[in-house]
Amino acid sequence: MSSNKRLFWWLVAPGAIFLILFLILPLASIVVFSFWRTESYTLIPDWNLDNYIRILTDWTYIKFLLRSLSMATIVSLICLVFSWPIAFFIARYGGKFKLIYLLLTSAPFLTGEILRVTALQQILGPIGVINMALSTFGFEPIQALMYTNTATAIGLTYLWIPFMVLAIYLSLLNFDFELLEVAKVNGARPLRAFWEITWPLNRAGSAIGVVLVFIPTLASSITSKFLGGPNGALYGNILANQFGSTGTWALGSAMGVVLFAISLIVLYIVWKMVGDLKRSGVTIKGGAEL
Amino acid sequence: MTALRIGKGVQILLLAALYVFLYGPIIYITYVSFQANSVWPFPPEFTAKHYISLWNEENYHSGFVNSLAIGIGTGVIASVLATMAAVAILKYRVRRSVYIAGLFLMPLFIAHILIGVSSLMFNKMLLGLPGNIFSAILANATYATAFAFLVVVAQLARYDWRLDEAAMVFGATPGTTFREVTFPLIWPAILGAFIVSFLLAFNNLEISFYNLGATPTLPTLAWGSLRHGVSEELYALAALINVAVFIFLGVMYVLLRTGVVRLDYKD
Repeated sequence: MSSNKRLFWWLVAPGAIFLILFLILPLASIVVFSFWRTESYTLIPDWNLDNYIRILTDWTYIKFLLRSLSMATIVSLICLVFSWPIAFFIARYGGKFKLIYLLLTSAPFLTGEILRVTALQQILGPIGVINMALSTFGFEPIQALMYTNTATAIGLTYLWIPFMVLAIYLSLLNFDFELLEVAKVNGARPLRAFWEITWPLNRAGSAIGVVLVFIPTLASSITSKFLGGPNGALYGNILANQFGSTGTWALGSAMGVVLFAISLIVLYIVWKMVGDLKRSGVTIKGGAEL
Repeated sequence: MTALRIGKGVQILLLAALYVFLYGPIIYITYVSFQANSVWPFPPEFTAKHYISLWNEENYHSGFVNSLAIGIGTGVIASVLATMAAVAILKYRVRRSVYIAGLFLMPLFIAHILIGVSSLMFNKMLLGLPGNIFSAILANATYATAFAFLVVVAQLARYDWRLDEAAMVFGATPGTTFREVTFPLIWPAILGAFIVSFLLAFNNLEISFYNLGATPTLPTLAWGSLRHGVSEELYALAALINVAVFIFLGVMYVLLRTGVVRLDYKD
């Protein structure tokens, strides 16, 4: 082994070992627990498939899973559609303000989910400012904003749209905007130039963005708990319950494994749709490919 | 030509709309935090009572200290591990290092609730460890390392590694080279990674919640308080945290501007 290679491994080993120990092993452990059963708050190594059978045949679990899946699909698509023009603008016309635009886009994300949801409750809820203003000025309040799935969808878009903008922006970093000028000279209208040049060359950013929004939305529990109201529970809420009051950890583990499996499937589908990642511009200039 | 101009106009409008969408709630809650009537604070009637009640809640004092500990612990672990890996991958360009990069980015694709419950179960069942602040730090450091790695890689992508080679030619050991050449140039990237991972862990709810047992942090206290109906001291807390995040990001802006390379590393 050359000395460079040895140094490489010495440098990456601590982080790699850390991630294996504290991320991958725990995830593997819930796969094991998902085949056990829980009895009065204790896990019993009694191998069975009951947890999975329950999740995949009991309509209650399927219903919440379907609700979360459609929520995640809708929220990712909304984020995708709105983020594209924004990321495009920052990348193309941002000039020396690019960094400011990006930091302004990401700053709210760092405040944490719970305080952002608190702020949203003040806007959307029954006594939120929108409906208070409407009723103060003699209009009908908007029912859709008060503890509904719509409110949850708005909340989730609010939480995760920064990821989508960043992902698309990063894929546009290496995009040669001159190509659009060439297209224009040759008579292509802007929308056609977008569909035939910009989009195909930067699909990878969209794909990564969709996955980064889809996965946390699919698993979300806090937003729906505080914005979704009594009928707004999502799969994540039911999953969280297994580790809270009911204490059915084995079932909760199986729900977690199902969630993880769906995330992997989505990752795979999106990756397949994008095809060759390298051609689509996700490279760090200088050669290191990510 | 006009179509292009309309397109650009639409883009500017959408960017403005995004900022209104993102900052409307933040600005409004900050305004409400100073208002006597939090439901319909018009006309304004200024007061500091929410801040005083926040200060008088003893819980929030220990919550703050615990959040700080989780943030600092996570920030140190994540920025050190991420910097080592990023330097190794970018400097040595070993074949297949893309898989290592994949491992470091993997936590971005795993839902926080899964990281939270799986580390809870793992620690409790297999290691027999009760939930405490250390397990919360370790669990938070997994995904924070991914964010820190992204920050460092984006910053170092155009670092000129020939500087390091030059130092080696003159007989410097890899350790000395890092201390004398690399580190003085890349420290803004490392500090940026620390700030991002610190803030993420400080404000994290889903991972900390499952790993902490009874130890309170600011997000878990906020969660408890929100669950029992709206508590007005939360507005004050939200306003303060937002201000803190902005100060940190201001620092980061200066760092990125003065750093070796900028996020927009296109020639």
